[in-house]
Amino acid sequence: MDECQSAIPAHDGDLHVVAAAHHIVKALGTTKNLSDDLRKILIDLDAHLSLITSNIDSKGGKGFVEVEERLKRVERKIVIWESDRIMIWDSGPKEASDYLEAVDEVQTLIDSLRGLSMNENQKQKELLHRASSLLQMAMSRLEEELIHMLVKHKQQSEPTYIPSPSSQRNVVYNESVVSLDNESAKEASSKNSCSDECGEYIVDLVPEHVIPDIKSIAKVMFASDYGQEFCEAFIGVRKEALEQHFDILENGKLSIEDLLKMEWCSLSTEMNKWTWSMKIIFGVYLMSEKRLCDQVLGEFGSVNSFCFLEIAKTTILCLLNFGEAIAMGPQEPEKLLRLLDMYETLADLVIDIDALFSEDGGSFVRLEFHKLLEGLADSVKAAFNAFGVAVSSNGSLYPFPGGGVHPLSKYVMNYISMFPEYCSTLNLLLEDQHSDVASLVSEPQCGPTASLSTSCPMACHLRSITSSLESNLHKKSKLYKDEALQHIFLMNNLHYMVQKVKGSELRPFFGDEWIRKHNAKFQQHEMNYERVTWSSVVLLLKDDNPGSSSLSKSAFKEKCKGFSIAFEEVYKNQTSWCIPDPQLREDLRISTSLKVVHAYRTFLGRNPAHVDDKCIKHTVEDVEKLLFDLFEGSPRSLRNSRRMMKT
Amino acid sequence: MPATDYQASFLGRISIRRNQVIAMDGNHEQELQDLELFSKHVSERFAELLSSPDDIPFHALLSISWLRKLLDFFLCCEAEFKGVLMMGNDPSQISKPPLDRLIPEFLDRSVKALDVCNAVTNGLESVRHYQKLAEIVVSALEQKPIGDGQSRRAKKALTSLMSAMNVDDKECSAAKATERSWSFSRRGVSSKDRVPEHFRSVSNQVAKNWSAAKQIQAMTNNLVPPRGAEGSGLASPVYTMSVIMVFVMWALVAAIPCQERNGLSAIHFPAPKQLNWAQSIIGLHEKIGEEWKKKEKKGTAGLLDEMQKMEKLGNILMDFTDSFQFHGDITDQKAEEAAARSAELAETCRRMEEGLLPLQIQIREVFHRIVKTRTELLNALDQVGKSSSPLL
Repeated sequence: MDECQSAIPAHDGDLHVVAAAHHIVKALGTTKNLSDDLRKILIDLDAHLSLITSNIDSKGGKGFVEVEERLKRVERKIVIWESDRIMIWDSGPKEASDYLEAVDEVQTLIDSLRGLSMNENQKQKELLHRASSLLQMAMSRLEEELIHMLVKHKQQSEPTYIPSPSSQRNVVYNESVVSLDNESAKEASSKNSCSDECGEYIVDLVPEHVIPDIKSIAKVMFASDYGQEFCEAFIGVRKEALEQHFDILENGKLSIEDLLKMEWCSLSTEMNKWTWSMKIIFGVYLMSEKRLCDQVLGEFGSVNSFCFLEIAKTTILCLLNFGEAIAMGPQEPEKLLRLLDMYETLADLVIDIDALFSEDGGSFVRLEFHKLLEGLADSVKAAFNAFGVAVSSNGSLYPFPGGGVHPLSKYVMNYISMFPEYCSTLNLLLEDQHSDVASLVSEPQCGPTASLSTSCPMACHLRSITSSLESNLHKKSKLYKDEALQHIFLMNNLHYMVQKVKGSELRPFFGDEWIRKHNAKFQQHEMNYERVTWSSVVLLLKDDNPGSSSLSKSAFKEKCKGFSIAFEEVYKNQTSWCIPDPQLREDLRISTSLKVVHAYRTFLGRNPAHVDDKCIKHTVEDVEKLLFDLFEGSPRSLRNSRRMMKT
Repeated sequence: MPATDYQASFLGRISIRRNQVIAMDGNHEQELQDLELFSKHVSERFAELLSSPDDIPFHALLSISWLRKLLDFFLCCEAEFKGVLMMGNDPSQISKPPLDRLIPEFLDRSVKALDVCNAVTNGLESVRHYQKLAEIVVSALEQKPIGDGQSRRAKKALTSLMSAMNVDDKECSAAKATERSWSFSRRGVSSKDRVPEHFRSVSNQVAKNWSAAKQIQAMTNNLVPPRGAEGSGLASPVYTMSVIMVFVMWALVAAIPCQERNGLSAIHFPAPKQLNWAQSIIGLHEKIGEEWKKKEKKGTAGLLDEMQKMEKLGNILMDFTDSFQFHGDITDQKAEEAAARSAELAETCRRMEEGLLPLQIQIREVFHRIVKTRTELLNALDQVGKSSSPLL
């Protein structure tokens, strides 16, 4: 309105011009189909021209009669609501638009009164004060209406369609390098993969139809220079709403001190919650909040990003601090998968975070999250290395009973079978440590002929881990005094490793060459077992004197007895041994049977004369049957059973 | 002296020293010199902070710029401390008595300090909110001439400001947050002076029972000056740095709204006066402690100079708006006075606008630095542990 000031007529002659202009404006104002903006301009112009007239009139003493009249009219419209208990916007759209119109009018009057030079005109001053009071009353009211509106609709629009993290929480978390059975390791390792379910989606934090109302209040408050009040009220409600959503996600308010002391089990739950919360808060709520801010405040410039930052900051800091606490904690191997989840989640969100906080004020937030991402990357690497160290250094004092599949093998193989899901991340993070490991794992897969999947950093690390596992198993096998059991143990565990590789996503990373080689390894142990256990036993049946047709009775008896004792000894020992894999057990029994039963049958067949019940403790059929008791993991003794049979 | 200059000169010093250390290679005399230099710098820095003139608002005790200087000095001392502890010295020293006990205690303290940093960062969000409310007061009173509308507008913002500061002060942010939930029947109050406040929930980032005062108190656990022969070794810089850390955190908590600060002034620093470097810290502790005791009785959101100014000006301007509403108008003299106060408030707001974000970023820097040193010390301990114990 400043430019109008110069338009105040200096000469009486100009009065005609003003009057004429006023007429034209009034006439134009009656035209239908005017755009809102144009109509507003005309109304303003009308008000201003009438003021000029009255100002000139006032010199004649008549005063601002018309202005006062208009002020009185509008005053009634505004004051009437002060005693009303009902909210204006709840009363109906008509009431709301009338009220906004009234506020517009007050603002117009104020602008016009201000536009006039203040030549100590008492009346003008008084009117201006009255109008300002009225404006303050209206603004205060609008602020209240705004808060009411935001709060009311905030609660109505509680999103119910976001999948709850509880679906993921039925998972067992307490992984540790020792004593884990197959199932819990598998469960515990299951990847937290909700990114596919929820992705990024924007919800209406405030119902669509309310936005124009909020905007209309924003418009009029900003136009009256009450933008600050609008922002504070808006920020206040929205910030609280966001914090409530954050609370619903059940993020424990934990200090760093608490987190560093926390048991792994609870910590793992918290880490999962964080991953989940990050996705929901950034992917859903902040995205939606940003859109709401853009819708409401888009046309008010930097205010928009300021409000958004204020709304988001405390919640973001909470998430950030949790991440920092995890990144600084000791990186134990069991944390690896959860850390990978956290890293991947943040890596996915970083682009969004950059976009959400692209303005200067948000650079702090952007920077902090980039720092956190680096920290988490280091943590993943540290945990990965710790895992490798744990695999190679896991020590035992006593041999694992039965020579079955060691828990370490189960744990390691189940754990690493989760890695392929994180393949691209692990390849990225392990890249710089790749060359060291690749040279350590001097498998042909890492050579020039290797395919891509077997030569990627993760593949080399995987094979390095399994080779650590192998050497550790060799160490563990030395704890058995019985050499045969050493071979059973190694056979079992190597067979288990091969099976795990073959039956999982690990296969392409290990390659057929690795499988072939390791098949050969466990088969070698199988053969070694047979040699160590049975060669001496079979040797007892050997013909000392190949020339003669048959043995003397006593020699035969002696040999029979020797065989029985040796066989019973093996039986007693090896029924307590264990081959968990039925196929492997079957194969070994058959090949043992072939060797032993065949030798026994031949031996007996060669001495038909001596064969009678007294010397032969076990018939061929007995031996054949008894061999099937081996490796069942339940110790038996033939002497006992024989005695039992007799009594 | 601007912080950056200081840092530059400090870095210069440290690099010279490093060369010397390398040249002399673990010489005991050098070590003693390092320790001496460290405590000399500490005492210089804190003497500078103590002598900050109260009458120049920009540098006043516990003003934003003063706190920034304090944090700058903290970072300098910290860097130098790490240098003394880890550079040039035999790394295995940190695993030998008494450091094998003192370092873990120090690390424990560091972790506690991190939580304080976070609480203070959160508290700065409240300060930011006060600033925004004060800016509304300024906007209202800037208008000429001031009428009833402006006065009401200012009063409304002032009421929000004062009660916000008061709420934060009552230290029950968690309980208060629920009390302040938005009510639907706001229209129930229909008096003319109905003042819908500019609510902003006080976010409780940390657990409800977390207490800043207790946290600081816990940081002083086991904090005793090294005695006898320990006094000449590395135990003394660990002790010095611990005292600095506790003091800095204590000062931040005193200045900035924080959850639960009862008994803050009762926290005793076991820093003996005869230690040269400790004198200024003790001086500052006493000075701030006195302030805190004064305010603790009537309640304060924090001793931050800008906030205190805000509170004082807020009270004056509140009286002004009250009398305006009572009389319907004011004398020119009063109007002038109000304009002057409002200009002061505007200046305070401007300083906050300029300083709060950098302060927040600096606290974050302190946070990261503490984390980094902790990690480095843990790694060093780990290395020593590995090399000293035979591998399985």
